[in-house]
Amino acid sequence: MAVPKLEQLSKSVVQGPSLATGAIPTKDWMDIPAIFKPGNYAYPAKQEKVEYLNSQKDLHFPNAREWNPEEDDWKLPEDWKEIILKGLKERLDKFRSLKIFMDCCVRCGACADKCHFFLGTGDPKNMPVLRAELLRSVYRNDFTLGGKILGKMAGAREMTVGVLKEWFMYSYQCTECRRCSVFCPYGIDTAEVTMMLRELLHLVGVGINWILEPASNSNRTGNHMGLQPHTFKDNVDFLADDIENLTGVKITPSFNRKGAEVLFITPSADVFAEPGLYTAMGYLLLFEHIGLDYTWSTYASEGGNFGLFTNNELMKKLNGKMYAEAKRLGVKYIIGGECGHMWRVVHQYMDTMNGPADFLEVPKSPMTGTTFKNAASTKMVHISEFTADLIKNGKLKLDKSRNAHVKATFHDSCNPARAMGLMDEPRYILDHVVDNWVEMPENTIREQTFCCGSGTGLNTDEIMELRMRSGLPRANAVKHVIDKHDVNMLSCVCAIDRATLTSLMNYWNPGCDVCGVSELVGNALVMDGENRQELDEGLRTLV
Amino acid sequence: MKLDEAFRNYREKIVDRWVDYTLSTYESSSFFKKEKDKFANPVGGNVREALDALFVLLARNADPKEFVAPLEQIMLIRAIQEFAASVAVGPIHAVKHITREILAKDKERCHLVQELYDFEFAVDLAVLAAFDLYMQCRERLYQVRIQEIKTGNFILTDSKCPTNLLKTNIQESIKAVESH
Ligand code: SF4
Ligand code: SF4
Repeated sequence: MAVPKLEQLSKSVVQGPSLATGAIPTKDWMDIPAIFKPGNYAYPAKQEKVEYLNSQKDLHFPNAREWNPEEDDWKLPEDWKEIILKGLKERLDKFRSLKIFMDCCVRCGACADKCHFFLGTGDPKNMPVLRAELLRSVYRNDFTLGGKILGKMAGAREMTVGVLKEWFMYSYQCTECRRCSVFCPYGIDTAEVTMMLRELLHLVGVGINWILEPASNSNRTGNHMGLQPHTFKDNVDFLADDIENLTGVKITPSFNRKGAEVLFITPSADVFAEPGLYTAMGYLLLFEHIGLDYTWSTYASEGGNFGLFTNNELMKKLNGKMYAEAKRLGVKYIIGGECGHMWRVVHQYMDTMNGPADFLEVPKSPMTGTTFKNAASTKMVHISEFTADLIKNGKLKLDKSRNAHVKATFHDSCNPARAMGLMDEPRYILDHVVDNWVEMPENTIREQTFCCGSGTGLNTDEIMELRMRSGLPRANAVKHVIDKHDVNMLSCVCAIDRATLTSLMNYWNPGCDVCGVSELVGNALVMDGENRQELDEGLRTLV
Repeated sequence: MKLDEAFRNYREKIVDRWVDYTLSTYESSSFFKKEKDKFANPVGGNVREALDALFVLLARNADPKEFVAPLEQIMLIRAIQEFAASVAVGPIHAVKHITREILAKDKERCHLVQELYDFEFAVDLAVLAAFDLYMQCRERLYQVRIQEIKTGNFILTDSKCPTNLLKTNIQESIKAVESH
């Protein structure tokens, strides 16, 4: 009696097309089509953005058109299949890693349960091994002998429109966070498979607006926001005014100043959107505190590089802009702010794309004399490395009690942690600027950190539900330290995180704020000649 | 044999089946059922923790207000997972059937099935509360979306950037941009 009743219970009474109606999958994964409905896909790129990008030198974004993922017909170019297969062949020849990743997976499954998208959805195609299989199956079919002969038995399948739709669905349910690669015995980096899938999709005009519009803004005005030079300058000046109101310290930052020792580049979100603004105030205070000879640029006014989320040509171009500006201004080296993917590009790809930056000098801190040898080739040093070195050499006057309102934890952003190994410096800084901070559980931090769930250009509001699902593993670990230690601040060193974790906390853990580590530094700095008000909430205090 | 004793004895078995049933609503659920570390397996871990807490409350006829905490732990997750509302909430109901079935199979305790009225009524209240919470979670989700738009993130795609001018006259703008 009871068993059939229970079974009935698991069926939606409305019998809607819910993907998860309680059924245990009875079909092979290859036979389950991707179904697009509001909330599970990001809006396609506007035609004019794609056309604009395609019109730019060195960039290739063909087949711009209006299309709608929910419709059957995606208006693909007639020869879409040849384009994709040719594109795949070119990439197999060009990127040796891709060929290796296609060949050497033994399907051991070690990566399967390590992806936050799988953990938040229970959708098998979000297991990294299956995500890669979406491409690998086509690779087998068209590029291996076994696949040609044995077909489906060898896990091969033909490239069809259905497969292409699946690629779109699942390459945009991967934040290229690389957590899976940490667990793969062969070091297969599914993030790079996703990158290839996205590149191939761009060849047939399939991409999302949240990535291509900021990327085209960046190509045009130098930053994602599309801020023009005077607006960018005004925004930074506003922050300096706020600092003066709060601390009595007057700061006059310079812009596009030739001959400055250092060019400072940070994500534009830091000078525009909360809570990044407070992080930017932290930078301003820090540089004032040590009297650094530096300049902002209103052209290289973006650290972020949405090119990374599209194809290697655009990534190269947007990265190149920072170095072109450093050259134009004649600075010695670059200090980079708290950003995620800017550092991924600088650390992993810059050298072979635009580097080595021989016209610059190896970064050397003018205050401590420390040479940052790790940046010998890219000539770009991370603000946290720079700050930690200042603290270590006793160059900063810090008063931790100014962060008494903060009980912090630290989120390792995927890119700094896994792509450049920056894990100890932010922690060292926290040790010196706040009395109270605690770690989240071991399997959710450092190399094993969980993504915010909205990286790689997925931080758009139309897929908020998806973002909340993929952010669950991170939020779950934060909740643990909130319950156990009354944590009220989630600190990080990434601008996208500052925006996305804020939404994530607002859903999962309301009441927990998000900040950059440099904001906490700014709070704690004892400035010469200051006339500080009672700042109960540090730089966030409303006065 | 009293009912409360039966609840105590069968707690683990009932909760296990309840968790198993709830997790079966996911397409690929074996990992969710197997992995016990809550941080490696947030869906499975939270569902297990919350249903166990809820069962204890239901079994002792606790004040329905106490149901909110464990129910919220589950509904926050299920409210954003592409389930129809009925499927999101449905598994809460399942404990009725599971409990009946387990007691009925036990020859010494099958008579207790007659006494399940209060327990089942408590489950009904929990299901109703779960619906409220489901709606609150959806509401919260929309608020988060609105808030994000308000904080200026939207500027990324609807800004005054010159590239926006392309909306009106794409070809000329491209020429203008190129001639710079
Ligand atoms: S890179 Fe990250 S998001 Fe992509 S499959 Fe691996 S774990 Fe998942
Ligand atoms: S861990 Fe590596 S080898 Fe194993 S299934 Fe995943 S990608 Fe393949």
